Parts: sequence; C-alpha cells; structure tokens
Amino acid sequence: MDGECVSLLPGVCKVLADSGRSLPDDTSLEKLLDWFTGLSKTGGSLLESCPCLLEFISTVGSNTALDPGVLSFALRLAGLIAAREAGFTVLQERSVVDLVFNPQHWQDAGLWSDPCIRIGWIQGLQNMLQHPKALSFFVQSDLTQLLLQLQADTSLFVASAASQLLGHILLRFQPPPSSRREGTGETAEDHQGTSVEYAAVVVVISEYIQKSLSTEGSTQHRRSVQLLRLLALLLAQAGPPLRDTLLQAVGDALKELVAAGCSQLTLPLMDVILAAHSCGADKPDRHLSCLLSSMFSVNKPADLIQAAAAFLRRGLHDSDHSVWAVRILLLPLDIVTGRSLLGSKDLDEHRLSTAEELKIKNSCISLLCLCLTNTPHITLLPADLLPCPPGLIVTAVLALLSISSGQNSASSSPTATSCTEVSRNVIGSSKVQKCALEALAALSCCPGGKEKMNEVFTVLLQYLDSPDSDPTVLHKSYLALIKWMSLCTNLSFLTEQLRQDLLSVVRKRVCDVRWEVRDSTVEFVGKAAGVLTSPEEAPEGLPVSTAPLLKEALQDTESYVRASAIGALAQTQWHSWQQGAALTQQQTETVSRLLEILSQDTEGFARRAVVQYFISWFSAVSSHASPSSSISSYPSASLLMNSVRSVLSFGSADLDWEVKVHTLELARLLLDEAFLAEWGYRKSPDSYAGDSERTCRLHTHSRGVESDLAGVLTSLVELGVISALLSGLVDCDRPVALKACRLLIRLRDTVSWDSESQDASAAMATVTRVSCELPGWGWGQEIKKVLESKSSDWASKDCATALILSGADDGDSDQDGGDRMHAGVCEVLRSLGLDERLDILSQSSDHVHNSPLSLLQDILDASAAHTHPNTQPGQEVIVDCY
Amino acid sequence: MKLYCLSGHPTLPCNVLKFKSTTIMLDCGLDTTSVLNFLPLPLVHSARLSKLPGWISKDGTVNLEKELKECAGRVFVDSQPEFCVPERELLDLSTIDVILISNYHCMMALPYITEHTGFTGTVYATEPTLQIGRLLMEELVNFMERVPKAQSATCWKNKEIQRILPGPLKDAVDVWIWKRCYSMQEVNSALSKVQLVGYSQKVELFGAVQVSPLSSGYSLGSSNWIIQSHHEKVSYVSGSSLLTTHPQPMDQSSLKNSDVLILTGLTQMPTANPDGMLGEFCSNLAMTIRAGGNVLVPCYSSGVIYDLLECLYQFIDSANLGTTPFYFISPVANSSLEFSQIFAEWLCHNKQSKVYLPEPPFPHAELIQTNKLKHYPSIHGDFSSEFRQPCVVFTGHPSLRFGDVVHFMELWGKSSLNTIIFTEPDFSYLDALAPYQPLAMKCVYCPIDTRLNFHQVSKLLKEVQPLHVVCPEHYTQPPATQSHRSDLMLELQPPPMPYRRCSVLNLPFRRRYERVYILPELANSLVPSEIKPGISVATVSAVLHSKDNKHTLQSIPKPPPVPPSKKRKRVMEEPPVTPAPKPLLSGAVPLEAFLTTLQKHGITEVKVEETADGHILHLQAEDTLIQLEEDGTHIVCDNNEPLRTTLRDLVLRFLQKL
Repeated sequence: MDGECVSLLPGVCKVLADSGRSLPDDTSLEKLLDWFTGLSKTGGSLLESCPCLLEFISTVGSNTALDPGVLSFALRLAGLIAAREAGFTVLQERSVVDLVFNPQHWQDAGLWSDPCIRIGWIQGLQNMLQHPKALSFFVQSDLTQLLLQLQADTSLFVASAASQLLGHILLRFQPPPSSRREGTGETAEDHQGTSVEYAAVVVVISEYIQKSLSTEGSTQHRRSVQLLRLLALLLAQAGPPLRDTLLQAVGDALKELVAAGCSQLTLPLMDVILAAHSCGADKPDRHLSCLLSSMFSVNKPADLIQAAAAFLRRGLHDSDHSVWAVRILLLPLDIVTGRSLLGSKDLDEHRLSTAEELKIKNSCISLLCLCLTNTPHITLLPADLLPCPPGLIVTAVLALLSISSGQNSASSSPTATSCTEVSRNVIGSSKVQKCALEALAALSCCPGGKEKMNEVFTVLLQYLDSPDSDPTVLHKSYLALIKWMSLCTNLSFLTEQLRQDLLSVVRKRVCDVRWEVRDSTVEFVGKAAGVLTSPEEAPEGLPVSTAPLLKEALQDTESYVRASAIGALAQTQWHSWQQGAALTQQQTETVSRLLEILSQDTEGFARRAVVQYFISWFSAVSSHASPSSSISSYPSASLLMNSVRSVLSFGSADLDWEVKVHTLELARLLLDEAFLAEWGYRKSPDSYAGDSERTCRLHTHSRGVESDLAGVLTSLVELGVISALLSGLVDCDRPVALKACRLLIRLRDTVSWDSESQDASAAMATVTRVSCELPGWGWGQEIKKVLESKSSDWASKDCATALILSGADDGDSDQDGGDRMHAGVCEVLRSLGLDERLDILSQSSDHVHNSPLSLLQDILDASAAHTHPNTQPGQEVIVDCY
Repeated sequence: MKLYCLSGHPTLPCNVLKFKSTTIMLDCGLDTTSVLNFLPLPLVHSARLSKLPGWISKDGTVNLEKELKECAGRVFVDSQPEFCVPERELLDLSTIDVILISNYHCMMALPYITEHTGFTGTVYATEPTLQIGRLLMEELVNFMERVPKAQSATCWKNKEIQRILPGPLKDAVDVWIWKRCYSMQEVNSALSKVQLVGYSQKVELFGAVQVSPLSSGYSLGSSNWIIQSHHEKVSYVSGSSLLTTHPQPMDQSSLKNSDVLILTGLTQMPTANPDGMLGEFCSNLAMTIRAGGNVLVPCYSSGVIYDLLECLYQFIDSANLGTTPFYFISPVANSSLEFSQIFAEWLCHNKQSKVYLPEPPFPHAELIQTNKLKHYPSIHGDFSSEFRQPCVVFTGHPSLRFGDVVHFMELWGKSSLNTIIFTEPDFSYLDALAPYQPLAMKCVYCPIDTRLNFHQVSKLLKEVQPLHVVCPEHYTQPPATQSHRSDLMLELQPPPMPYRRCSVLNLPFRRRYERVYILPELANSLVPSEIKPGISVATVSAVLHSKDNKHTLQSIPKPPPVPPSKKRKRVMEEPPVTPAPKPLLSGAVPLEAFLTTLQKHGITEVKVEETADGHILHLQAEDTLIQLEEDGTHIVCDNNEPLRTTLRDLVLRFLQKL
C-alpha cells in the first residue's frame, strides 16, 4: 500500500469515528470499502498494513451515537477483516466480533430499525463467513433464525441481501466431494466440526424454504419469486448432497406451486426445475420430469410458451420434453399461418386456447415474437425432435411475413375463420415484422435452407419494395438478405426476375426520402459486394450496376449516408484492389472526390470513412503484394501513394479526433510496409507495442543496410508519416497522442542503434542525417518546446538548438508568421522523452481524482472545512459558487 | 326521415336528406370515371389516334366505325367525353331547398343539378371550396372546349347494340344518362347560387333545422356538416383527414351525440399509406431524373399538388435535383398557386402562423421565385420556348383523356427512360393508360389519398358514438380484390346501413319531441303543483301558434267585450263557450287505505283479487266491482247511482287535483 495513504488513514479513521464530522459525499464510504476490499483481495492482511483499523472498529462498534452510515461501514469492514482466520481471531480477542455482530446490541441502541444497519450486518456477515470458525460463530450465536426472519424484511434490499447470504452459507460450506478433499490440506477433524454445524444450518434453511413456499406460494408472489430465485441459485451450484436435501425438502411445495398455475411464478419455477434438472445425474429425476410435464400442461398459452422457451434455451438432453416444448413453441405460427407444422396430433386443447389468445392484439404479438425468436434454435435441433422438416418452418415464417405485410391471407384451413381475426392483429405490425425478419436471417443456417432461397428472396424483396415498410424493417430486411446471400458466392441461384427486382429495388431505395433507408441501402450494397465474391456471370450484376449509385450517394445531404457510401465503395473495390486490377477512370474520379470530402466535408463521419477507405485500399494492396515485391510494382501505386500523402496531411490536421486516430492507423500500415519491404520481417496486425523480436532482429543487422534504412526513413518523411506522428504526439486528444506516442517509440526502437558501439554509430551516420521539417507554428512549435524543455533536463540548451539543423529558409517564411525548422529524425525521436510521455498518456484522465489517496484527502479536507472554527455553516457552498 | 342516394360512388357522393320538412342535398359529386371509355382528346394532331380502325361487329352486322375505335385491343368511344351525372329521376330536384357542399371535388356536378331542373334553392359552401371548385370547373370546361368535337356518339348506347360490344363498354351502366360537359355560362350561373359560410357558422333553414359546416381536414375549406333540430342531430361526414397536411385540422368533437351519421368519402386506397406513397413518389422521381428521363405527374390543379410541391421542396436538395426544372401546366395553374397562399384562415396552424412572417404559407412561392418551378396555362406559347429536359411536369387531367397531359403521353410514352407517376386515386391507372398501349415509359402508381382509412374511422366512430351509421355499401365488406382483409371494412354495432345508387333509406329514428315556446304572460299564469319531489306539473290552456316551423303557446284571446251599443247585433260567430276545464287528476289509490275508508263507509265485504295491472275489488254485498289499475279506475255498479257517486268520491279523495 502507498505509504502516504497509510499515514493518512489514522486521521481518516478519527474523522469517521467522530460523530460531529461530515463526509465529502455519500459515496465516499463505499469507495473506501471498495479500496479495502481490493487490498484484501490482493493478499495482504488489512490489519497488518493498517493497524489503526482495529482501533477504529472497536471504537465505532461501541459508539451507537454515530451516523448509521458509518456504523454500517464499520460492520462491513469488520466482516472484511474477519474474512481471514487470523483477523477473525484478533477481532474476537478484542470481543469486536461478538459486539458488532450481536443484533441485540443494535436493537438495544434502537438502531436495528434502520435498514442501513441491517444491511451492514448482513453484508458484514457475508464478508466474514469464509472459514469454519466464522460459521461456528454464526451457528453458536444462533443468528440463523434472525437471518431467516430478515428474508421477509420490509426493505427489498435487506431481504435480497439476506437471501444472498443464505445462499452463500449453503454453498460456501458444502463438504467437498471426497475426490477433491485429499489435495486441499484440510484435516478430517476440521471438516467434521464444520459439517455438524453445516448440516444443522442446512436442515433449518431447507425447512424454512419448504414452509415458506407452501404457505406463501399462493398469496405472496413477490416473496415466492425471491425464494424461487434463491432456490434456483442454490440448485445450480449445489453439489449432490445439498441438492438432494433441498429437492427432498421442497419437492411437494413445488408440486403445489406448479399445480396452482400462477402466471407470475412460471419463469422462476421453470428456472428452479431446470436448474435442478440440468445439474442432476445423467438420468433425469422422475419427480422432476413430472414437475416439468405438469408445467407443460398448464392451459395458459402465454405461460406455456414461456416455459417451453425457457426449457429449450437450457438445451437439456430430454427428448420427450424437447419434442413437447418445440410443439408448443411452434403452435402460434402454425395457427396464424395455417401451415400445418405440427400435423393434427394432440395439442387440440392448447390449440383452442392459443387461438383465443391470439385474437387479443397484445398477447398475439408477444406470443408470435416468442415463437419467432426460438425458431432458428428449433431448426438446429436433431431431426427426430422436430414435428416437420426445418424447411417448412422457414416457409411458415415467410408466410407470416406475407400476412403481416397484408399481401397474403393464411392458407385455407379448418381454422380459417379464426385466422382472419388473428391476421388483423398481425397486418402492419412492425414488431412482428422485425421479429420475423430477425428470425428469417438466423434461419439461413438451418439445414436445407438453401432450397428456400427463391421464396425467401421473393418475400424480402416484397418488403424492400413496400412503401409502407418502416426504416428499421427495411434495415432488417437487408440484413436478412445479406445472411441468405452469404450462402452462395454469386446470385446465379436466383431467377432472372428476382435479380432484376433486387436491382430495381436497390435503385429505388437509394433515392428514398428517409436518410435511414438510403443509409441501409448503401450499406447493403457494400456488404453484398463483400459477400458475392465470385464474379457475376451477367454484366449487369449487382456490384457492377450499383457502383454508380454509390458515387451518387457521395453527394448525399446526410453525412451518415455519405460515410456509408464511402465504406461501401471500399467494400466493392476490395477484390479488384487485391487482385491488382488496373485503375479505371471512374476510380480516379472517386479518389479525387474522396480527397475533396476529406478536406472539405463539414461532418466527421464522412471524413473518418474516407481515411478508412484508404486504410482498406492500402491494406488490400499490401496483403496482395508478396514479400519480394513492393507496393511500387502495383498498377495504381502512384495514385495510391499520392492519395496517402494527402490523407496523412489532411487527416492529421483534422478537427475530429477519430479522423486523426484513423490517420495514425494508416501511418502504422505505412511503417509496417516500409520496414517489411526492407527486411521482410513477419507482419503483425496489432500495433507496435511490445514486439521485442522485431527489434532484436533489426539490431543484429549488419552494416550495408544503413543506407536502405536511411532511404526508408526519407521516404517516410516525404510521405508525411513522420509529420503525422509528431503532430499526433502533441495533440490535445489523449487517444491520438497515445497512439502516436506508441508508434514513435516503435519507430525509435527500430532506427536507433546501440550508440555505445563504434561500428553502429559509424553505420548510422547516414541515417541520422535524415531530417524532417517542423512548421514554425502549431504542432511544430509544440515539438520544439518539448525538445527545449527536455534538453534543459539533461544537458545544456545548446544541445537543443543543435537538434534543429537549420532555421528559416531565406525568404520562404511561413504565412502564419512562424519559422520553419529542420530537425534530425533520429535525434528528435531520442530527445522527445517518449517513454515518460507514454506513461502519462497511458493513465486515464481521471486517475488522480479516482486514487485512494485523493479519497482520503477529500475526507480529511471535508471534515476540516466543516469543523473549522471560522467557517459558518453554508459558507463552503458559497465559496464553491463564486 | 329519408335519405335518397343519387350516386353510388363512395367518394363522389350525392345524397338527399328529407328532414323535418326540409329537403337537403348533401354534395353533388361528378363521377368522371366514365371518360375512361372515350378516346383521348389530343391537343396537337396525333397521327396515331387519327389512324385507329373503326369497330365493326364480328359478323359485320353492326357497323359503328364512326363512333367506336379500336386501340390496343380495346374499343373506345370517339366523341367528346361524357360524365356519369347523379341520378335525376329518383326525386324531383326542383323540391330541393338547399345543397350543402363539403369540398371542391364533391361539387363538380353542381351545374347539372342547379341548371335546367327548376332548382330554386341555395347552395352553401366555404369560400375556398367555391373558389377552387370554380377553378376546377373552369379547367374542365377549358380542356373540353379547347378540342371541340362536333360528333356526339349515341348509337352505341342503344341497349341492343351495347350488349354485343366488347370489354368494359358492354358493362358500362346508365350510359343513357351520361352527359357532356357543361359550359362556362352554366358554371357561372350555378356558382351564383352559392352562399358562403364559415366553419361553425349556424345557418337556419326555415326555422326547422340548423346546418353548420365543420372543418374536415381534407382540403382547403373542406367541411363536414351538422344538420340538427332541437332534438335530433344528423352528421354528414364527407372527405375528411386526420393527417397533418396543409388544411385546418378536422373538428371531431362536434360530431358527438349524433342520432345518425352519414359516412362517405373514406380513402379509396385503404392499403396505401400516404406517407409511404409520398416517399415512393420522391424516390421514383429522383431515380428517373438521375437516369436522364422525364417525369410526368398527371394531377388535379389543386389539392395534393400543394403537398407534393412542398415535399419536393425539401427533397430537391437532398436528391441533388436542384437544377431539374419543374413545370406545372394548367389553364388555372397561376390562380391555383396564388389562391392557396391567400386562404390563410383555412390553413393548418403551422401555415397560418407564417402569415405573420414575411414568407408565404406554402413553399412553392419560393420554388417559383428561384425559377425551380414554372407554371404555364398550356403547352402552347411561352412554355415551348422554355421547355428543357430532363424535367418534371405536373399537369391534368388525371384520367389522361383530355388536357395537356395527353400531349406529354404521346411525346414521352415511347422512351423507357421516362416515368409517369400517378398520384390521384380517382382512376384506375391501367385503364387510364389503355389507349396509349404499347407503352415503353415506366409507370408508377403512388395514389396519395389522405382521407380517413378504416382504422382511423373506427377509432373516430368509437369516440363520437353515433346511434346509427349510414354508409355506401362498399364500406361494409372488404375490397373485392382483397377479400382476406377483414380489417378493410366497417364493423359496427349496430351494423351500418348500406346504400347504393338509387337507394331510398328510411333512417331508423323517430322524432319524438318538438320544442314549443310559451309566452311570458301565459307562463306567469301557470300554477304548478308538485306531484313528485322535484317535479311540478301545471295545466295550460292556450292557443298553439305555428309559423316558420316555430311553435308558440299564446294565451287564449279573451272575447272582446261586447260594445254597449244599441245597434242591432251583428251576426257574428260567437266564440264557443268553453267550459272551465275539469281539473286533471293524478296519483294512485293505495289499497290498504282505500279498504279502510270503505270500511268506514260501511262496506265491509270486499274481496280483493290481484290482476296483472292492479286489483279488482269485489264489493259482494253491493254486487259492485272496482277495478284499480295503473292507468285507469272503473267502478262497475248497476243501477245504483248514489253508491257509484259515493264510491267515486271516495276514490277521488286519494287523488291529487291539478
């Protein structure tokens, strides 16, 4: 622990123990406790590092006149200290444990009625109950009954904490399985003592749960829900003995609750049953199966479908119930669409009640949505669990989509009359539409889905064409379309008509009045190009025909659309970049338009997208170029490198920090590329931080490479990479400065040689001669300032001036009035104090404010301000205001 | 109360309501869909149309070469287009007292009703309805008169011949009553009978009923009407809209508590949401212009066009259409655009508030100022020198049978780059395009109908809760093409009363009350007596005076005192000597108390028998019956007048005299 903190702590304890003093704010005690919890977790003993705490707890524990918040804090702190046996023993020796955890003590003081104290007591106990001694204390002090009473506390927080403590006790002190017991070093006696006490606790608690469930199950739902949650938690984590005991105790109560069929308890009950079911032995318990079956025979469609969904989500290997759950989940879809997914077998009773439920608009939509969200999962189940082939489910979802768009009625079936009533609830419901589209997207992976491709496209295109489709519905339709398209590499599986329709709908939507729609359309075009990797057989294929639309979208009034269009352009061109296709006139035009956007667009999104466009272009090209060939052999290399130069200069001068970060990412790629071409080392996708292997290899290089290194460095200077990095370093936005700093450190480590070695220094002569230009204003000046301050740190001022190789060029003075300077790159890199800078930049901007030291100081200051003889109450506030 | 339905068209209604001795016509819409059976009237000579072959029946027996032409597999009448006017035989139109107009689309048949039928009543409409209605009529007359056709085809209407005609002509109904367009003179005469009214203004009709227009939110000056007497209320809902477009919002609350609500003018496109259609319109327009094509929008010269222009005003820049010219061609284009700007009080609040700013309510003024929108009376003249392509042209008539639109169809129909976008819902676009087939031009159907849809109307009816609803039969079943859409029909309890052309409905409520005034001096003379707590009753003798459907009770004039003259008595009718009216009795005879009273008077042997309405008392010794019933008391007593009188007096003791 920080020495300064240790020295402040006694003062703080004094402040807290003094009832008259105030705290800076009501979160400070929580922060303090968090700090102590952190300290004890890291392994140190709290009492050893902060001996004053013992005194604090014993004083505070007996001073009932204190603020309940402080008392609650002390209780939890005491628990934290007593969490270790040693701490517990010390506290017990001072009778602190007996005092503070004795509820009578608080009741006598009239404080027990304060929920703050009760919750402190509970959480203190929970902190403490980590070892057998604590359990013995708990049992011997007879606290179990009180804890059980607190389950029904009037305060929700207290009740919930008490319930958690119950769970904690049962789970924490479970006897370890015999196989595990050997290695742990626990002695048999040790455990025996505990197990007697533990067994007693288990009996009491399970009796309590059983009694409460059967008496309150039907009346007090809130309490029952809480008990069931506790039970589910316990069953999920309990070992076999505990689990069996619990199940034996609550089995009948559960049965009664299931039979009562209360809707609010459906999900919690299901959780309990499933928790018990899933952790059981390989063969499912007969009682549990019965419970599950009776859950599945409730005649309330909403409850039933929820239970079925919960069951399926668990993914249990229980084929009987799975078959049933699947049937229940598919029933609404079967009824609404009139497709017989289930055949006519059984379910008749449920069919009637579900059909009635579906006539009510709200429950209709919620039932259908639940059904739809589960369909993708259902289709992936083993075939013998399904009532129909997965393809039929896809067809049913498509039918539902058609009904919902008002296009189609349900197919004629005996229940057709109820269908018309139901379809009225579904027509135009965008919630159902969205849910069904999401389901449809996920259904693309279902077995045999590919055969449904044309049907799927027909419905999706209908949605995309419909004037009434909501923008979010259109977006989801596009997403579904992409998912299904990704099953193939081109659109040849579609009928000619569908391909035409797709094209015309995209053409129309890209002109939509709503920008959200234009945006998703443009995005779709990009993604489609990414998905359809094999060349289109038809000349008017989708990517080719949509390229002009994207160019048009670059002019859009909405910046999101422009940004998406730029992104989509990059996606459509990725393949041709990678394959090194020759540049077309159109591409050249696009590039100049993009540079125009970067330099002139008023919105950050579009500019960010431009930088990313060039990042993907550059990485596509460099991933294509083999180690032996460099980018210069690429057909459109000169356009690319010229553009990159402009991007670096515009991007690093941008006002938007994200644009600058993206620009630095481009600089990183350039650095990678530059050094890769020279030495051919392995590329790594992540940033430069901590890659010692590369540095080593560079350092062991022989002479003869120095001139190449100088060349690389010169080209980087000429491209503007160095300027971009340096300007980033002094940027006021931390993420920009941090990224630039990391890159500069890497660069420095790459170009610097061991200056001690004579050979090296001679060899580096040419490298050190490489210089870059610093503008006489803005970042150039900032860099100069940094250099000057650094040089004053370690040597004379002359050194700093020596770094600057030359002053202003004659007569070529900058417009802004400043003088341009040239500086040696290597020297600058060495002299900027990059490592210190990285340390500072790596810390979050509020690290000072959030430190424990600051917290302790705040507490001291606040109390000092409050108790200062000359301050009037309220004066502090006035000072704050002015 | 009766309703005569002279038009079956749900959005172009013409109904007559007989209510309390008044005869009120509600709207007189003109069904112009009949013109689809005619050949287009080209502004410029069209070689294609003039070379069309005439129609001869297959067996050659019927030759109508002059009247019917075959074009693209269909037969069209080659004559001046004719309209299907409202039924004129169902009742004598000269008996109509007033015509209430709800919006300018629903008054186009006015000259057919007011002229040459003996009509002598008044037409009530709001000012924008009158002015814009006049523009539309003027435009229609202009379209027709610009291209006069001497020939008038009538032979094909012969029942025997019509039966053997192909296609839609065979099934056309009431062809004999189809009429050619009216003249400008008739328009002026008809419109001179219009009296202007403002929203919520109450107009008394002969003291019998009061009519009052309410804002209906559909178009400038559009209204629904309330027709009410003191105790009855009929609401007439015509084209209404709940959407926020340019007109004043709909007044819904005044429709509450109607006995009968006549519901017409719902949207013709229940499945086409106007917002979605507007979006379609814009994106198709942009798509065509970007591809270098022209866009033709056949439309009326007022109404939705204002909203289209406003929408485009916002869309032009975002779609980079800033340099594309927009033309609006109509004989009344200029007046329409300018009128819309001056009817400030009839606009929605948003636009009204612009009146106080130095900017006009509608943004089309700015489009005109910046030369993005140009308007011309016709394609002749200035337009031809300014015409630049690609462009967007708004012009009429939406039926594509007459007006400048015919020229653009001939001009642009052959290129697949061009697009025609239908926005008016009144005509089937396929029928409208039929005489232009084969057509390379792209066709987009974006009907924009802002009138109430079924969802909105059922919500509205739930709120205003009329006792009975009367509506066209179309609204009581789903559209024929979408029989599964049970959401596209009215479902009400009690079910709505459907009507069709020529229906006469007896509206299902009886008038039970009439308001009668009482003069103060007469009122003063009344002596009320309380018969139940809080209810007092008085008898009144007076003379009922009825004039102008107002009823007043006046004191009976006292016979003039006979002048003390010695002259011989004139032979004059003596006022009948009215005996003082007997007091009215009220109350019930309490059985127990009555029996006690009888006993006191020595009548002891009484057998009481309970009946459905009261009791029969059998006085056995006297052999007399007394029937005490809810609404009558009888004493049956043979030949014992004193006993009867005694018994009568005993009964009267228990009753109150007024």
